Amino acid sequence: MQRRRGRRRTRLRERYERRLFEILRELSIPLVILHFTLAAGTLGYMVLSGGDFINSFYMTVITIGTIGFGEVVQGADTMAGRIFTTFLALGGVGVFTSTITVIARVIFKEELQHLWRRLSMMNAIDKLEGHYILAGFDEVTAELARLLERRKVPFVVLDDTQEGLARIAELRLPYYLPEAPFEQETLLAAGIRRAEGMVVNLGDDARNISIIAVARLLRPEPEEFAIYSFASSPDDAERLEELGANRAFYPGRMVAGRLAAYLFHPESSYLQGLFDRLAFGEETDVDLLEVRVEEGHPWAGRRVGELRRELRVNVVALRMPNGRLDLDLDDDHEVRPGCALILFGRAERLEKLRERLEVERELP
Amino acid sequence: MSSRKLLTDFFVLMALTTNVSFVVFPNGVELFVTVVTNLAATLLKMGEGRVLSAELMATGLVADLHLIPALYFFYAGNPAEAVSLAWGALAANVVSVLLVVIDTVLKSYMEEE
Repeated sequence: MQRRRGRRRTRLRERYERRLFEILRELSIPLVILHFTLAAGTLGYMVLSGGDFINSFYMTVITIGTIGFGEVVQGADTMAGRIFTTFLALGGVGVFTSTITVIARVIFKEELQHLWRRLSMMNAIDKLEGHYILAGFDEVTAELARLLERRKVPFVVLDDTQEGLARIAELRLPYYLPEAPFEQETLLAAGIRRAEGMVVNLGDDARNISIIAVARLLRPEPEEFAIYSFASSPDDAERLEELGANRAFYPGRMVAGRLAAYLFHPESSYLQGLFDRLAFGEETDVDLLEVRVEEGHPWAGRRVGELRRELRVNVVALRMPNGRLDLDLDDDHEVRPGCALILFGRAERLEKLRERLEVERELP
Repeated sequence: MSSRKLLTDFFVLMALTTNVSFVVFPNGVELFVTVVTNLAATLLKMGEGRVLSAELMATGLVADLHLIPALYFFYAGNPAEAVSLAWGALAANVVSVLLVVIDTVLKSYMEEE
């Protein structure tokens, strides 16, 4: 039994709910005291009135609630009744006001509101599918979050640092968990089993490695769940890829490469910028799409001109099986199996095409 | 021995015994005392870190939701309906007491482990 208990991990939701009830527990004793005061008052007036429950309860409430409409129950205007009312009012008013104070203090407690918000956010995360997980939230990941938002791609942010949480609050992100990202329960709560991929940026390689290891235990297939990680050096990037990341990036090299592209093509800065923005997902109106044409694919053996007219997108290039890019495509060019078509066109048209191809691929 | 557990268990048992006494001899004061003890038991169960705390809370709420309408029916002149509702609450209270016993056994077993 002990072994089983040791193996079982507490789910994040359970932990939040337990804490929520622990806070609500503070209400228990004041409410019990108020309850017994009301019961004693009602019972006393019931004895005085000969069993009139409704009026006795009403009389007790207006007495301890300092409303005092008068003696509305039989027997309350007698000597015994007035003595009883006096003691009930003296004790009851204190109990009533202190209970109200405790209730207000607990309800307006910041932690209770945070827990409530987190639980409702977790309910919303449970409904997400095909989303991305952003582990760690610095300036770079914040910029990535903006790009994903612009593309309407859902994502969940995991960060428990003060700076990260401040940035999350500033951007008013819809889904985030302020928990340690490398914990298994945090990744499960972020819906890792239904997610499309994860971006790891925890600041240092040791933490990046630990989250990649945990994530790969939960989602071992790199084709089904992509992990992209940041690395502090080109060597560490290689190591992270060996440990399970699909791709690891050394940010310095990426920025330098992008800058170099501008420096080497100063005369075509607009086009350079356009392809750059397409590659980095910043351009929302137009997009690029690569479609592999295997044996049996409906496009195999078709002419480029036919596809251009039918799909209403530009076939800009064909990537040959040997990796060579064929850019001299006239309308009569035949699409052979094994090639990949590079399509360029309106983003929404390409998106519809991508969905259509996915449906066709799933058909038997 | 925990004083909080003693208090809660006392009211859980008391809720059952007063419920039985109302069912056997229906009268207003008995019903009132039953409601008071049941509500006290439920309030004390709130946020208790027991193994079966959710189940205990649920049975307590079931008993309350039978007894509060029973109190209304009794004073509205329909004691037969009140007694039938109190029977329902009695079933919930029996389950509640059984759960308290199971919970205590489970907890001591887990502590031993």
